[in-house]
Amino acid sequence: MAGVSTKEIKNRIRSMESTKQITKAMEMVAASKLRRAQAQVLNSRPYFEILYKTIQNITATNRELSSPYLLPQSEGGVLCIVIAGDRGLAGGYNSNVLKLAQQKLEGADAQVLPIGKKAVEFFRSRKIPAFTEAYADASDVSIGDCFSISKQVCKAFHSGKIHSVYVAYTNFESMLSQSPALMQLLPLTARQEPDGHVPAGIEYEPSSEEVFEAIIPEYLGGVLYGALCESRASEQAARRTAMDNATQNAEEMIADLSLKFNRARQAAITQEITEIVAGS
Amino acid sequence: MTPFPLKIVTPDGLLFDGEAEEILVRTTSGDVAILAGHINYVAPLGMGRATVVSGGNRRTAACIGGMLSVVDGAVTLVPTTFEWAEDIDLPRAEASLQRADKVLHDKTSSDTDLRLAEARLRRALVRKSVAGNL
Repeated sequence: MAGVSTKEIKNRIRSMESTKQITKAMEMVAASKLRRAQAQVLNSRPYFEILYKTIQNITATNRELSSPYLLPQSEGGVLCIVIAGDRGLAGGYNSNVLKLAQQKLEGADAQVLPIGKKAVEFFRSRKIPAFTEAYADASDVSIGDCFSISKQVCKAFHSGKIHSVYVAYTNFESMLSQSPALMQLLPLTARQEPDGHVPAGIEYEPSSEEVFEAIIPEYLGGVLYGALCESRASEQAARRTAMDNATQNAEEMIADLSLKFNRARQAAITQEITEIVAGS
Repeated sequence: MTPFPLKIVTPDGLLFDGEAEEILVRTTSGDVAILAGHINYVAPLGMGRATVVSGGNRRTAACIGGMLSVVDGAVTLVPTTFEWAEDIDLPRAEASLQRADKVLHDKTSSDTDLRLAEARLRRALVRKSVAGNL
């Protein structure tokens, strides 16, 4: 009887070890991808910040500025651009951002623009109509794609099909913490920053309205790209953490099972000795 | 010439951060050259060649989309794409040109395809012309 159980334990240890190898490998892959994604996040931040500041300056200096992008529209639905991953096994990464987006969309006349296979599947199964499913592969979406998404969205916004645009993504705070976030893209809310230093007398060419109209789609594309970079880095960081935990768990279980295995083996030996001694 | 601080930032990162004496770019309303002491100025960029003179060196680049801003003497160029002439992948631009050309000559192409192809054609032409004469 003891012999059977040691064999069973041995099998379990072996399978646990191969699982551990897989999770370890996934962790290392995620860590190396994370380094690249992190560099990308840091590179894309200044671009977005400067665009944002310029828009702030224009809205702050030109009070009479009227643009459809600034006005709350009355008709149309909500569009939510949801950025999730292509694969699972990344802890709560996918489910957190998807849940956040779903809360926003519930009960509203809503459409989604899913980016990432997990987002596409999620909204398809919940029968929420998609604006387009052309960007299912989150890892393939390039900066050019972000700009073409932004152009399509601006067009739909102008034609009155949608009245507000949100983006749901995951903020990359650090290696250990990522938080899902929802940001309103359109209509632009005129934010008043108390300490905002506004340089006086900026010359806009051809005119501030035209500069504004030209920059908004660029700005949206830039924001989207920024959100995408943040999400990608978050995905890798989440996966790395999840896989690190899995590896540790596997190690713990292996240690536990090894102890059990040794006990069982020792018990079998002791029993055998007892039998031999008793028999003689 | 008097230098001024210049920053060139694209989504791919900071491409230039330092002193320059002159920058020449194509905005949507025409070519503009900025020297030190320019007034505060913002203009959206078109597609074209950008020339940066820094430390007596003249460098050219293909600069597409985005905007140019001068605030309190500091010049910031925020293009969508910005490639120094020596970094341009000429064979790729050539291939892109051919592809766009094919779509434009195809009578069955849809409207959006035509628009995309036209934009691609113009980008490829800018890249080619900039890379062609370093």
